[in-house]
Amino acid sequence: MGTFLQQVINGLSLGSVYALIAVGYSLVYSILLFSNFAHGGFLVIGGYLCYFALNTLGMNIWMAGAFSLVGAGFAAVATEKLAYKPIRERTSVTLYLLIASMGMSIVIENLFVVLVGGRFRALPPVIPTNPVNVFGIATTSAFDIISLVTAVVFLGGLQIFLTKTKWGLAIRAAAYNLRIAGLMGVNVARLISIVFFVAGLLAAVGGIFLSVRYTLYPQLGMITIKAFVAAVIGGLGSLPGAVVGSLILGLSEMLTAGFLSSQLRDLVVFSLLVVTLVIRPTGLFGKDVGEKV
Amino acid sequence: MSAYTEGILILLMINGIAAMGVSLLTGFTGIFTLGHAAYLAIGSYTTAILTLDYGMHWLPAIIAGGILAMILGYLIGIPTLKLFGDYYAIASIGLAESIRLIIENWQSVTNGARGIPGIDTFTTFPVALGFFLVLAFFAFNLINGRVGRAFMACRDDHIAASLLGFHTARHRAFSLALSAFYCGIAGGLYAGFISFIQPIMFDMLKSTEMTAVVVFGGLGSMSGCLLGTTIITLVTELFRPISQYRMLIYGLVLVLVMVLRPEGIMGQNEFNMKLFRKIASRIGKPKTTSERG
Amino acid sequence: MSAAVVEHPVLELESVNKFFGGVHAVNDMSFTVRKGELAGLIGPNGAGKTTIFNLITGVYPVSSGHIAFKGNDITNQITHKVINSGIARTFQNLRLFKGATVLENVMTACQQHHKYTFIEAATHMGRWGRVEKKIRSESMELLERVGLAKEADRGAGTLPYGHQRRLEIARALALEPELLLLDEPAAGMNPEEVMDLNDLIQAIHKDFQLTILVIEHHMELVMEICPHIVCMNFGALIAEGSPEDIQGHPEVLKAYLGEEVEE
Repeated sequence: MGTFLQQVINGLSLGSVYALIAVGYSLVYSILLFSNFAHGGFLVIGGYLCYFALNTLGMNIWMAGAFSLVGAGFAAVATEKLAYKPIRERTSVTLYLLIASMGMSIVIENLFVVLVGGRFRALPPVIPTNPVNVFGIATTSAFDIISLVTAVVFLGGLQIFLTKTKWGLAIRAAAYNLRIAGLMGVNVARLISIVFFVAGLLAAVGGIFLSVRYTLYPQLGMITIKAFVAAVIGGLGSLPGAVVGSLILGLSEMLTAGFLSSQLRDLVVFSLLVVTLVIRPTGLFGKDVGEKV
Repeated sequence: MSAYTEGILILLMINGIAAMGVSLLTGFTGIFTLGHAAYLAIGSYTTAILTLDYGMHWLPAIIAGGILAMILGYLIGIPTLKLFGDYYAIASIGLAESIRLIIENWQSVTNGARGIPGIDTFTTFPVALGFFLVLAFFAFNLINGRVGRAFMACRDDHIAASLLGFHTARHRAFSLALSAFYCGIAGGLYAGFISFIQPIMFDMLKSTEMTAVVVFGGLGSMSGCLLGTTIITLVTELFRPISQYRMLIYGLVLVLVMVLRPEGIMGQNEFNMKLFRKIASRIGKPKTTSERG
Repeated sequence: MSAAVVEHPVLELESVNKFFGGVHAVNDMSFTVRKGELAGLIGPNGAGKTTIFNLITGVYPVSSGHIAFKGNDITNQITHKVINSGIARTFQNLRLFKGATVLENVMTACQQHHKYTFIEAATHMGRWGRVEKKIRSESMELLERVGLAKEADRGAGTLPYGHQRRLEIARALALEPELLLLDEPAAGMNPEEVMDLNDLIQAIHKDFQLTILVIEHHMELVMEICPHIVCMNFGALIAEGSPEDIQGHPEVLKAYLGEEVEE
């Protein structure tokens, strides 16, 4: 029972980190209806900015965190303006955006390889990882609990932003129909920038936690594949879906690793993806955008 | 011809075969794949295992590799091809990763992550040339006729295609099977060229590279994908001393092509008299409104 | 009308209903189109006319009811099978293959009746040469028919709108259908173009011995050329008959003008 509870907490913690990434990804999808494969890049940028801030600039974790979040947010906006906007304005074929996002993902990852080298870097131990006893039944690390709490805080913040602010309302309207939102007076260009900023910011939070968990290296963004899977399971375009899908994924991964074999862990992830796509491609909460004939 | 030049040419032809496979699926049938390295892997491993463990001659071994890849492609295609656009791309990533993970973990058959060394170097220049010429002959012929038109109808408007009596699901699955065959053959030839294969050679980066080459050359142009392959393979060779920049350049190529010229170098044109006439007439007189849209 | 042998009508709809969520898009529609007829399906925008075409061709499943083609039940049959049994259609919003040439658009349809094997396709041997030539020449003939032969090598997307509509008709004819469904073929045309279209439709009706069902919003086209007219509103049948019957029908006037018309 102890192991089970332990793995559940591990799973929820991992899932909550995935959720931060998946939600940002789904947010972009809900507005622009394309999969931003470069999302992993924002994560990596967040990780490296934090590392840089902690080591070179000697900031404390709070300031480094803020620095990295804002930096990643701006990087996301820059990516959109440089790579996606020109394509979006010329054509409605989302395939081109997809390919461009794939390219950006590779560019960002390899920019770091070239600039700072591909070796693994450990972040200074600013997030405690000491073991914590949970209700006397299981031990988990403080890190897992902190990442879980942080994720909840940020997702909660996102929820408040979306439901209680003007721009949040605009984003929700745009998720229904971007063009109509524009016709209703929403500044579409700015809305897209805000959405990307938020997505980048959330990805950075995930990036920081993942860097601590797995050490920092340029290909860390590859882990976003799992967040994509989570978003698809939950339903592309649905934010609650992204969260639910992430938790399901985190739990499945950890339970598989704990009880079956850690080799099978990734296989389970992709099997869940394939099963979801084959049985219910719109995922748990996704919207089915049917085509008018 | 020096051994080095011969090696480059062989590599060009192997990559060219794979590119034609991806072109059939992505360029001509409009199914954007980010997971075709899986079929390369299946071809490679099948050929390696058959020649090393079962003493089979390389010719039937390579063909077996192609056929196994084709069968798997078809089986995978049946449930997943009802997906379109982003969804299929994500599924292709998941499937490719799953296949790679299976290969990596199936120690008894594939020797796991360590890979299979000591494969006989049967892919000599004449062998590669033979396969290349035959497969190119088939590919160019197919696109110029009812098979090509059926694929393109499914690509340009699958609803209209079904309303013209095309069983689009079957055509798409067939396109996938064919492209998997080509990549399987390329994989088999590859095994006999580099003599040592490991699962990590067939990762997402490889898949992306396979698709990037076709995008760069022109989605919808068979000669374009060969041109793209040639340019990128040669540039990669040139940049070998600074291979860390190689991936960065791939990424930039993808992004720049999408932003500046999404139809790629060749667009939907082929290297034939029609193209030269077109270029000649465009140089000769100013652009009229009756140009191809 | 000559004394006809009793045979199945080409198209029969029987109590067809279609719900989209809560919207009752097609409400208990029943009508029949006999062989060789040139029938019209009219009604204000949103009446459910295109939905009827989509139900016939299997794009949407019916919620209830039956559709029969030449006496065979085709309700909910898969689209490509419906088309292959002899029905062709054009689209309200045009669905040409814009990147392909005018000729290639027609050839893509024409090849459905001119086949050769995969091996022949991959090697260009055997019947390939002969059959491709046939496909090309038949497609050119159809383009001549609709007056587009000179534009054969143009990109389909570069044609003027009216010509694109003609191209869609040529492409549908290439399927050698028995029943041709035309969805608002005159949309966006000026009165002169509509007159030309009328002539074209009547010509192909006669020369190809087709049964044609035309959806139109423009009264001039339908009243001119369709002896049998079905009028819909809000998904339901409100009138059926000859142009004279329809013209004065109070329900029809109400549907189009939206108010009670004092006689």
